Amino acid sequence: MGEIIYSGEVLWIGYLSRLLILCGFVGALMGAIGYFLTTKQQIKQEEQSWKVIGKIGFWTHAISILTLIGLIFYAMVQKHYEYNYVFEHVSNDLPMKYILSAFWEGQEGSFMLWMFWHIILGMVVFFTDKTWFAPVLTIILLVEVWLTSMILGIYLPWTDDLKIGSNPMVLIREMTEAPIFANADYLSLIEGRGLNPLLQNYWNVIHPPTTFLGFASTLMPFSYALAGLWLKEDKTWLKQGMKWGLFSAGILGVGILMGSLWAYEALSFGGYWAWDPVENTSLVPWIVLVAGIHTNLIANNTGHAIRPTYLFYLLGFVLIVYSTTLTRSGILGDTSAHAFTEMGLEWQLAGFNMFFLFTALTVYGLRYKTIPSPIKEEPFQSREFWMFVGSLVLIFSGTLITASSSLPVFNSIVKAFDPDFVGNVLKDPIAHYNKYQLWIAIFVSLFAGLTVFLLYRKEKSPKNFFYIIGFHLLSATILTFVFSKIYTLPGWQFVVLAYTGLFVISSNIHYFIQTLKVNRKMVTTAIAHAGFGLMILGTITTGLNKYYLNNPFVSRGLFENDQLAEENVQLFKGKPLIVRGHYITYMSDTLIDKMRYYDIKFTKIDQDLNVLDSFILRPTAQYSNDFTKLAAFNPDTRHYFTKDVFSCLTNLPPHLTDNDLMKEMEDSIKFTKYNVKLGDTITTDIHKIVITDLNNVPTHPEYKHDKHDFGVQATLQLFSLENEFIREEIAAIGLEGSLIYSYPAKIESENTRIRLDEEILDIYLSKEENLKYDFYTVKQGETFEYKGNTLKLLGFDKEPATKNYEKQEGDIAVSAILDVKGESSNYTSKPLYVIRGSSPMSIKDYNASNGLHIRLSNINPQEEAFTFKIAKDERKIGSIPVQVATNVPRSDYIILTATVFPGINMFWAGSLMMMIGLLWGWINKLRQKTNLAVATE
Amino acid sequence: MKKSYIIALVLIITSVVIFINASKDVSTYGDFKMAEKANDKIKIVGLLSKDKPIEYDPEVSPNEMSFYLKDQNGTEKKVQLLKAKPQGFEMSEQIVLTGKMMDDTFVASEILMKCPSKYKNEEIALKSQS
Repeated sequence: MGEIIYSGEVLWIGYLSRLLILCGFVGALMGAIGYFLTTKQQIKQEEQSWKVIGKIGFWTHAISILTLIGLIFYAMVQKHYEYNYVFEHVSNDLPMKYILSAFWEGQEGSFMLWMFWHIILGMVVFFTDKTWFAPVLTIILLVEVWLTSMILGIYLPWTDDLKIGSNPMVLIREMTEAPIFANADYLSLIEGRGLNPLLQNYWNVIHPPTTFLGFASTLMPFSYALAGLWLKEDKTWLKQGMKWGLFSAGILGVGILMGSLWAYEALSFGGYWAWDPVENTSLVPWIVLVAGIHTNLIANNTGHAIRPTYLFYLLGFVLIVYSTTLTRSGILGDTSAHAFTEMGLEWQLAGFNMFFLFTALTVYGLRYKTIPSPIKEEPFQSREFWMFVGSLVLIFSGTLITASSSLPVFNSIVKAFDPDFVGNVLKDPIAHYNKYQLWIAIFVSLFAGLTVFLLYRKEKSPKNFFYIIGFHLLSATILTFVFSKIYTLPGWQFVVLAYTGLFVISSNIHYFIQTLKVNRKMVTTAIAHAGFGLMILGTITTGLNKYYLNNPFVSRGLFENDQLAEENVQLFKGKPLIVRGHYITYMSDTLIDKMRYYDIKFTKIDQDLNVLDSFILRPTAQYSNDFTKLAAFNPDTRHYFTKDVFSCLTNLPPHLTDNDLMKEMEDSIKFTKYNVKLGDTITTDIHKIVITDLNNVPTHPEYKHDKHDFGVQATLQLFSLENEFIREEIAAIGLEGSLIYSYPAKIESENTRIRLDEEILDIYLSKEENLKYDFYTVKQGETFEYKGNTLKLLGFDKEPATKNYEKQEGDIAVSAILDVKGESSNYTSKPLYVIRGSSPMSIKDYNASNGLHIRLSNINPQEEAFTFKIAKDERKIGSIPVQVATNVPRSDYIILTATVFPGINMFWAGSLMMMIGLLWGWINKLRQKTNLAVATE
Repeated sequence: MKKSYIIALVLIITSVVIFINASKDVSTYGDFKMAEKANDKIKIVGLLSKDKPIEYDPEVSPNEMSFYLKDQNGTEKKVQLLKAKPQGFEMSEQIVLTGKMMDDTFVASEILMKCPSKYKNEEIALKSQS
């Protein structure tokens, strides 16, 4: 078989990508070696020629990867489907604004996004830090070596299936074997799969870059810590560590928060946090970094806690890599809703993780003894002591979460040694995590409330300390009392949690006011701490006080101590349902593009049924890119200051979720045919139907007047078997050329469908052999009458063009132009007379609305006289053929879940305050530096 | 003794207590046989019996459905799920249920479905004209 020469492929993109990836890899390696030796020589005070090598390596890497990203974007924008990554993530109808989302939808793209941020951060170091750049860039570039290897896409020479990395710019025909690739012109036949509809929203444009900047930023405190250990500069790195620690925790926190906001606002989960392993393993590095920031603060102020600061910053990045490994390796399997499927990089990811874990721990272990640590302990009543204890509690929290989230990893490891091992899973993950983290939150709140009023390096707490704390404990008691009146606290442990949450808020408001007077920069602590307390209150109100808008008359408890909520309600179109304190009505639905919007009206009422509030929510059902299946339900939420009302569809009639099921359903409908006269009654098994009118002027709402040539409709009245009138309906039928369209009467609530049989058209449209023609011979300008119509011959047309006639070579054709004026219609009729070869023929003009058949049967050229043959449809309405189906599945309902989340804004505001505290702190550190620079000049 | 040692000790003891305590929170994926013996909720894994009826009638209850599940040992039992029918249910390959046995029916309060990957065994989409 000869080589196929494919047409339309643009191969240079692929070749260039390969080259860039290779340059990126070699550049990173060269840079890492260059800067490594620069750092070593710096220690030895020798010549620094390696610095140039490092510099060249760094910029080669940076420019290669940035160009590569640009090139892949180019391929995506230009829709070069010959490349697998483009094919998988882009489609012709993908809006330009989602190209970014498509870029990082796949694993390769998200690796590049991660590298992108490392490069940007590397540049910041390159340009701004003249002291630390060599060791820090060594470490950043070392990480980049590993990350670039993830997109290398080369097979090891001695094996067939062990590959290093996955190249995003592989041709689709190299990836997949399909018969289509035997076609040299396959490109004209394929179109990209496009972006997963769930990811086609703006959250997926902003959340991934923020999260990946968060991920990337954890490398900064890691690199400075490792550099500090390496250069034995145990004190000088702390300032940089603090700055980057604040930045990293702030951005990573914002990324996580955006993730939960996305889940809550745009996904059907109905919550903001689910203790999913993917969520957990991104939260843990954040917690560890926050612990690191606190010990860093201790170290800055007292020289204590340098060792834990090193350790926590080192762990922060290693845990991020661990999180990545779990998410991308497929090891989480069915324990996570977010994880990627495996792509054959499991071992490479594990190697990446292990490499940095061992490097960090080895360096730390070797240096441990020589890291300065004051012999004298922190005084018991000093700030540093309690901050340290608080940090340990945070680490403790991180350890617990990591341990539980790592259960699938543990299972896999044991299974590797013992194939018979049956893995364990958490029976109820949410309850498990909540149970333990509740106590962590209590202790963290307590320490965050107490410690702010303690002083550094003081044996004794300040004189008024106990008064202040006493005051806030009392104020928290009162606040808890008030809080418990508004929200339910089902259990003493929740009372304690609310109490400590209110305590930390109370004490930090005080601290805020106090610091505002002394030093404005220090308010960040109070903001972050109070934010933590507020967030805790938010978790209580939303987690324990949320309720479903459901049928209040149904309750069930199939398991002891385990009341199951009726989460969903069924709503029929136009029929209001009373749920807790509300009426909900499914008003209508509208299809826009591939999204169906459901208008659900919520009316809040009081006990006397007075309307308090009314609003419409529009949850949606989103269809797949090819529009054959339902892809997802998207929620809609009404926001109030004190609560949210969340709504999301959970189910639809099956035939509305899948084209195949729709066809199946339509095929399953069994119609029975009846022939009845006007006014006669049809009796089915469930009701009686009377046809009260039949006419040819359809008013059925779906009937398309501009599309159809002719239509008939019947008016029907539906009665129960007991002769109770139910409703009036219309069934119509439309004709377009030879195609017949039926517009049945759908009586959803009666599971009934009534349609007109096609035979009804015969009543209106007579067959040619049944017509009785009358003859009229007229000259131009003359008028004649026919059955209530006045016809006038206006003239004739020698170049006739009507839709029933197609001109052939040698035809002689003439059409008469007749003006027809009748009771129901005025129009111009153009019957045709054609001589083809030697035989004449007449082509009829038929008007369906008045039933006139007009033929031009003869032309007398000498006398200029035209002979017309005219007939009219009789349209005697005898028996009307109708078809009735009962037991038709309903299409007019939805299954909806509506939830009220009280106090959810406390959660968002509190979380946001923590991030503001962190990032504001970071900005203060940046300013401090510039101030110092200005001062020294 | 140094205070930090005391704290470390307290945390270690707490960890051990939690570890022992949390062992109750985990279990292996079970089967119907184990579910019959268990007093508490259990997680079972199995395959949806596609030839048996899948019933969901929202007019009766929008929060309940029933179907048949074949567990790892091939035992088939009726399952009553106390939730709305999840989207794409018929497509599921593997099902994980949390619940307990009541009479001869497994009553489940949680469901996790594993659906075939979007990319697996899928033909390359052709434009309609081909």
